[in-house]
Amino acid sequence: MITKFVWRHILKVREILPALATLVLLGVWSFPSYALPAFARQTGQNCLACHAGGQFPELTQYGRLFKLTGYTLGSRSIPLSVMAVIDYTNVRNPKDSAGVKDTTDFYKNGQPMFDFASVFLAGKITDNLGVFAQATYANYDHQKTPGVGPYEGYLTPDNTELRYADRFISPGNDLIVGAFANNNPSMQDVWNSTPAWGYPYIGPKFALGAPASPLLDGGLAQNAVGAGVYAYWNKSVYGELSMYKTANGPFGFLHPGGNAGIARIKDGAPYWRLAYTKEFGPHNLMIGTSGLVADIHEGNDVTLPTDHYKDYGLDAQYQYILDPHTVTAHISYIHENVRWGNPALVGTAGADNANETLKELKMKVAYVYNAKYGGSLAYQQLTGSTDATFYAGSNPPVPTDISGNMAGSPDTTVWVPEVFWTPVQYLRVGAQYWHYTKFNGASSNYDGLGRSASANDTLFFYVWGAY
Amino acid sequence: MKTALYTTLTLAIASLAIGGCSNLERSRDLGNPQVQGKTLAMQVCSNCHSVDGNSINPNFPKLAGQQEDYLVAQLTYFRSHNRSDPEGSEYMWGIARKLTDEQIKGLATYFSQQKDAPNVTGDPALVAEGKALFENGNPKEEVAACAGCHGAQGMGNGTFPRLAGQHKDYMIKQLHILSQTDQRPAGAMMKPLVHGLTPSDMIAVTTYLQGISPQ
Repeated sequence: MITKFVWRHILKVREILPALATLVLLGVWSFPSYALPAFARQTGQNCLACHAGGQFPELTQYGRLFKLTGYTLGSRSIPLSVMAVIDYTNVRNPKDSAGVKDTTDFYKNGQPMFDFASVFLAGKITDNLGVFAQATYANYDHQKTPGVGPYEGYLTPDNTELRYADRFISPGNDLIVGAFANNNPSMQDVWNSTPAWGYPYIGPKFALGAPASPLLDGGLAQNAVGAGVYAYWNKSVYGELSMYKTANGPFGFLHPGGNAGIARIKDGAPYWRLAYTKEFGPHNLMIGTSGLVADIHEGNDVTLPTDHYKDYGLDAQYQYILDPHTVTAHISYIHENVRWGNPALVGTAGADNANETLKELKMKVAYVYNAKYGGSLAYQQLTGSTDATFYAGSNPPVPTDISGNMAGSPDTTVWVPEVFWTPVQYLRVGAQYWHYTKFNGASSNYDGLGRSASANDTLFFYVWGAY
Repeated sequence: MKTALYTTLTLAIASLAIGGCSNLERSRDLGNPQVQGKTLAMQVCSNCHSVDGNSINPNFPKLAGQQEDYLVAQLTYFRSHNRSDPEGSEYMWGIARKLTDEQIKGLATYFSQQKDAPNVTGDPALVAEGKALFENGNPKEEVAACAGCHGAQGMGNGTFPRLAGQHKDYMIKQLHILSQTDQRPAGAMMKPLVHGLTPSDMIAVTTYLQGISPQ
């Protein structure tokens, strides 16, 4: 459900939404979740060397340097890993206003399910070159018949990166320079306050979520292919510049499914990143900014007008790591402005406004004891311009069970407490509770048929293993 | 703007293309005996211990100015799994598993020659208490003077490690390991010696040691 709305926002082409839904479910919005025993075998180290308190995928300073130096530290070993997730989702009220259970949005509600599994090819290739490539089998990838009926599984490409790095280091000077090519803007990032590796690291598949998301927050994941260069100086200043294009043609293998529903980026979309980091005692701090500018055609036809996206992000990360305690905190704010490319549709169909804004705030704090027992609290708030046609499908909005949006607003607020346990380094068991205080612009009766935001509260258990 | 971006792309692709070249001088390959210990010290060990051996996070010991023989011994123990304290082995078994004797020697030489940077000094009263314990021990509890083996200023001697300027948190952790476990067999002689140390004794003596900055 999240995905449907997100993609509506990104491409604003309702006619191809069914095709997009398939694409979306192929993994763009499956929660990224990666711990890599292949890397652990390469370095011979415990997962907690690279992952803060063992809570993959959050990186420690050591893990960040491992990645920035191109996954090349250690000695070559079998570069393969596998990962699987079994989970259970229970939405507080899965019924519509007539008391009928919604088995599409809340498919498998209250039942345990094998959610997805991944295989990784990851590790050192040469002294300067490393790879991280993932393919994911989503067990509930898409519905056999769009919109109705059971789901079927599908294996698709996921986050994939080739990275080159060199390090010029001596007492008093440390310069890491590198280049990368990947299929997800911000996948290259080493802090967990940017989208590709940000919280939640795993989450419910069949539950509702915010009705939109900035393009920078995963909108081009596996839809784009790009390359960039970066430098990290004296463990203090990091800068990066990259450019992305549509993942089609020879790069189509990095994109799930066919090209029918792919986001067609006009020319190239630049992505940039700056960060300042400081380590003092057991504390490690990062403040940064990033941005993405893209012109995306309003459909698969490149003769169609383009929507102009300007996304700017501010983020910060704090870590305290001193055995046996690990404390981490992240904050991310993304501001997006979209200018629709087809003025004829504005005010008539598609959108009421010629421009939309979206502001996404995400915060999270976590504590882990002895790399085994952990808990976190996250807060996520989405706000944006009101646009009944865009968010509700008509102006004035029409009451619609569960997915309705009488406010014509993306405003959604959710709190997510989580507890987790890592009995062994390759396995995590956890529980989240998603508590919505606002949904589609309202706390109560957001769909015009009496549904409150908290009706979408979701309990989520997971067992997440990797080897 | 577009030109700059395409230049970026070209640079990135060119870098990736030349990534196949060997690079012994700046390698992070822990399985290649041809890579010098000094290179590994800077390319790998620096991630936690800093390039000059003055680690910032007290989870990781300072290695700057450490006794060379002690560093050789510890790396050898990690390699052979004769040192198994979890906080050390989780990181160091993997790092040391394929190191050659020559690389270990090179690493130890490199860090032993680095200049120790002054560490945090503690409360003067606590420092005085720790200094007395370090220099005189506690005969009543049969705690021997640390200075007997570690030197009057805690500079260490051969396989007896330098403690001067070391992180307090790291030393406390090691005292617990040495007094309560057999995870560091080479340090077995410490077990009876530190058995009589109370938690407050440990804080005092490590506070003193952390603040020592011999010239």
